[in-house]
Amino acid sequence: MLARGRGRRVLRLDHDLLQPALCSGEGGSTLWTSRFPWAERPADGGKWSGLVMAATRAESRAREIFTTLEYGPVPESHACVLAWLDTQDRCLGHYVDGKWLKPEHRDSLPCQDPVTGEHLASCLQAQPEDVAAAAEAARTALESWSGLPGASRAQHLTRLAKMIQKHQRLLWTLESLVTGRAVREVRDRDIPLALQLLQYHAIQAHSQEEALAGWEPMGVVGLILPPTFSLLEMMWRICPALAVGCTVVVLVPPASPTPLLLAQLAGELGPFPGILNVLSGPTSLVPVLAGQPGVQKVAFCGSVEEGRVLQRTLAGVGPELGLALGAESLLLLTEAADVDSAVEGVVDAAWSDRSPGGLRLLVQESVWEETMRRLQARMERLRGGRGLDGAVDMGTRGAAARDLAQHYVREAQSQGAQVFQAGDVPSDSPFFPPTLVSDLPPAAPGTQAEVPWPVVVASPFRTAKEALAMANGTPRGGSASVWSERLGQALELGYGLQVGTVWVNAHGLRDPAVPTGGCRESGSSRHGGLDGLYEYLRPSGTPARLPYRSENLNYETFGLAVPSTLPAGPETGPSPAPPYGLFVAGRFQAPGARSSRPIQDSQGKLHGYVAEGGAKDVRGAVEAAHQAAPGWVGQSPGARAALLWALAAALERREPTLALRLERHGVEPKAAKAEVKLSVRRLRDWGARAQAQNHSLQVAELRGPVLRLREPLGVLGVVCPDERPLLAFMSLLAPTLALGNTVVLVPSRTCPIPALDVCQDMATLLPAGVVNVVTGDQDHLARCLALHQDVQALWYFGSAQGSQFSEWASAGNLKPVWVSRGCPRAWEQEAAGAGPELELRAARTKALWLPMGD
Amino acid sequence: MSARNPGTELDLSWISKVQVNQPAVLRRAEQIQARRTVKKEWQAAWLLKAVTFIDLTTLSGDDTYSNVKRLCYKAKYPIREDLLKALNMHDKGITTAAVCVYPARVSDAVKALKASGCDIPVASVATGFPSGQTHLKTRLEEIKLAVEDGATEIDVVINRTLVLTGQWEGSDFIKTSTGKETVNATFPVAIVMLRAIRDFFWKTGNKIGFKPAGGIRTAKDSLAWLSLVKEELGDEWLKPELFRIGASALLLDIERQIYHHVTGRYAAYRDLPMS
Repeated sequence: MLARGRGRRVLRLDHDLLQPALCSGEGGSTLWTSRFPWAERPADGGKWSGLVMAATRAESRAREIFTTLEYGPVPESHACVLAWLDTQDRCLGHYVDGKWLKPEHRDSLPCQDPVTGEHLASCLQAQPEDVAAAAEAARTALESWSGLPGASRAQHLTRLAKMIQKHQRLLWTLESLVTGRAVREVRDRDIPLALQLLQYHAIQAHSQEEALAGWEPMGVVGLILPPTFSLLEMMWRICPALAVGCTVVVLVPPASPTPLLLAQLAGELGPFPGILNVLSGPTSLVPVLAGQPGVQKVAFCGSVEEGRVLQRTLAGVGPELGLALGAESLLLLTEAADVDSAVEGVVDAAWSDRSPGGLRLLVQESVWEETMRRLQARMERLRGGRGLDGAVDMGTRGAAARDLAQHYVREAQSQGAQVFQAGDVPSDSPFFPPTLVSDLPPAAPGTQAEVPWPVVVASPFRTAKEALAMANGTPRGGSASVWSERLGQALELGYGLQVGTVWVNAHGLRDPAVPTGGCRESGSSRHGGLDGLYEYLRPSGTPARLPYRSENLNYETFGLAVPSTLPAGPETGPSPAPPYGLFVAGRFQAPGARSSRPIQDSQGKLHGYVAEGGAKDVRGAVEAAHQAAPGWVGQSPGARAALLWALAAALERREPTLALRLERHGVEPKAAKAEVKLSVRRLRDWGARAQAQNHSLQVAELRGPVLRLREPLGVLGVVCPDERPLLAFMSLLAPTLALGNTVVLVPSRTCPIPALDVCQDMATLLPAGVVNVVTGDQDHLARCLALHQDVQALWYFGSAQGSQFSEWASAGNLKPVWVSRGCPRAWEQEAAGAGPELELRAARTKALWLPMGD
Repeated sequence: MSARNPGTELDLSWISKVQVNQPAVLRRAEQIQARRTVKKEWQAAWLLKAVTFIDLTTLSGDDTYSNVKRLCYKAKYPIREDLLKALNMHDKGITTAAVCVYPARVSDAVKALKASGCDIPVASVATGFPSGQTHLKTRLEEIKLAVEDGATEIDVVINRTLVLTGQWEGSDFIKTSTGKETVNATFPVAIVMLRAIRDFFWKTGNKIGFKPAGGIRTAKDSLAWLSLVKEELGDEWLKPELFRIGASALLLDIERQIYHHVTGRYAAYRDLPMS
């Protein structure tokens, strides 16, 4: 029943097609295939050509088509692209400072049509000196661009939007031609979204002085793009960066010309040529780009493993790293869903050229059979072919993507999974058919791997609770959709999913006003909405980020050993004696190592002993924090505020003792009192800010709200600085608690005792485990926290080496990491000690889309 | 018409289990129109196919024998002979699927069709069309009289009072609307109906036909309807026994498009015979 010849395969959909044919597959499992009108090979056995070639045989076929009612080719010409490439003599360089840069003696890579293999142009690959030239252009442009009033930048972005509008055919044809994606998707979705992004961000720029007072542009931004969605991913990031006054250097993978065209359009607008520079080159240039003077931020968009390597490589280099990793998505289909619509959601999420990656599909057991039948029937109707055909659903993503999918599916089969593929695509074609994998055993090695496009891996679940456990049971946290007509259930699942975006009864909607991003290993950067703007802003007056990397830091041994401590003389000082022990799970406990470290006062006299915490104590503290987390998150913001205020009151009562302790460490009496008073205020202020974190957005093309939820990160590790031992401790603790996190703190190295004093009050006021304080060797404890896979974020305020290590080690679970880079912070100032930066870092944003309709 | 729907035991749990998410259906309706298009030879063949699905309709208060006769003639010769010849389709016997008239005009239509020697079925709207708000007795009598006059297909307006109060009726064909409402055949509604037809088929093995009516005026619209049925139900539904388009002005626009396809020029209305 499968026509394998080279002639045309005719799609006939008759009833027996809904029953898949059985063929034998590898590893004793079953390969189910059926017919599918994929791109065909011309009769002469030439190159793969997609459906376009069929046009030549179209004459006088009306009679045949009248009977079969098949679809025909809807070819789009790519003559405009060839004409544009001809203006560059079919050789694309880089676009830097408003000019094409074509240095001599560079390697070049061919840019080809992924379907026909037609050579389109050769692309020069950048060398470090080209990166330096681009960074310099961006740095020069930054002076004038960031100094402009927001309103002027808004005008410039609007002009860019108009420029894109004028040349949109060229843009969409180029993007579809070189990426292989369906032109309809690029034309009807990407381009309009690109224009909306410019318009939205122009408005943000216009009101910047008012709405974003207290923030300034970071500087030069380095942006690294993936090959497939380069146009859109670029727009999501350059729009906010340019809007707030940053300038950009984009590094695109070899043979991705669309960003170059976009840069040319922007460059031809005139007065600010260097604000957008595009280089073509390998990702091995990222460290070079990150190390250029003036580069303050590196935004990376790619695979999880690349991101992890990058985080390790860039530890200590200077620029802030924003990661958006992975492309897998999740769809949760309950028995209360409109199954047919959910099936369309699956198509949007995996079997279309709208979706960047594959899909994990969780289906409630009671509707499993029904769903599988509908999915398979729907798969039969998908059309694949050349991207530049106006009636295909799926193009190709090139040989590499095909091989990745192929490998994944073979692996799944060898582990006993069932595989259903709509279409029989010969292995030498660049296409890969839509694929449905089921019965993949949960413990199979492949289950944890990311599902590639265009594969859907379906698993059944029994209850909503189980669905959440399964959904949250991977390290990734990108986007997900929930399908249920029961409002309560949909919200329960939507709130419970640990991802950056949740759509209810929809999948893949995007809007410039809605922040998009991920959590956990999907990276914590955001684009879109206000959150997207903050990615490229820093509090006004923040010093520039300079490299602080120490090349001889040994990551293997840093903080590994704890120096042994001996008795250090008689304890002197005011009564009552400071508490002894680690504050874990709501009480003081003896450290696992059963040893202590002496704390000296400013005169070098022994102030007291504190417990010497170690790896096992950190483990216990993190466990206690995890146990406390659900209860603490479940508290209303009002209840959390009340507890913080109660703690503030307790701190106030303790003021004389605390002030005396600070005085012993060399703080002037007046300043000591002030520090305690300010600490009290921090608690009160953050208590008040615990309210009103969430708000709803109204977006175009959607009836119903999008909720911007601020969710706690989970368990936070905080290493406090030496300076301002009490105030810094409180300034860091208060926002984490207010926003619903539980926390493991390492107090000031030189003066930990005031923090332990406060723990006495926390023991009586706060639920056990919400705050855990571990004293000991700061490097060692920082190492334990940074390497802990179940700590969701790390704030490190200490040495430069410790900062570098924290950045490096956090790559393990890609936790967001905030380090001081060895610089002290002005905790007593409002911006540094209690500014909105802390609020941004202490929670993550989730967008919950709630379409409405009767 | 297809084999009759033998019916099934009324199981209201089927209906209570149905979930329809309106915004999702609206999105699907939007996508389906954008994602499928046919050009050139394909477009010509599809348009000719669409002609064979048309219930060529006149439902005016001032219908008389003469305009019904003209309608019947157009039903038999829907596309100019020379255009069909150019496409090598003149021997395919392309006619519309039926003519559709009021009960009182059925005998006129039967007479006109007989005179022109063709066996196109005559469909009649009946049962208090378009509101259906008449007594059951007169509704049944109306059907009986139309059948006696020679109608072979009856478009019954169901009693929507019963439906809205949860009491259902069965049929061989379902139609989106009477064509006389403020909102008639829309894609979202059609998607829901087509999915119901498919589910019924999966449950019982019986194929129910589908007829959108009202507001389908352009050739482009008709192509969208064909691809909608093709996508949601499959090719097996793309035959006059299971798919009809209720329309009056549509045919002329299709003929104009065919004219353009064959000649490369846009037709003036006077170039094509009126119905």
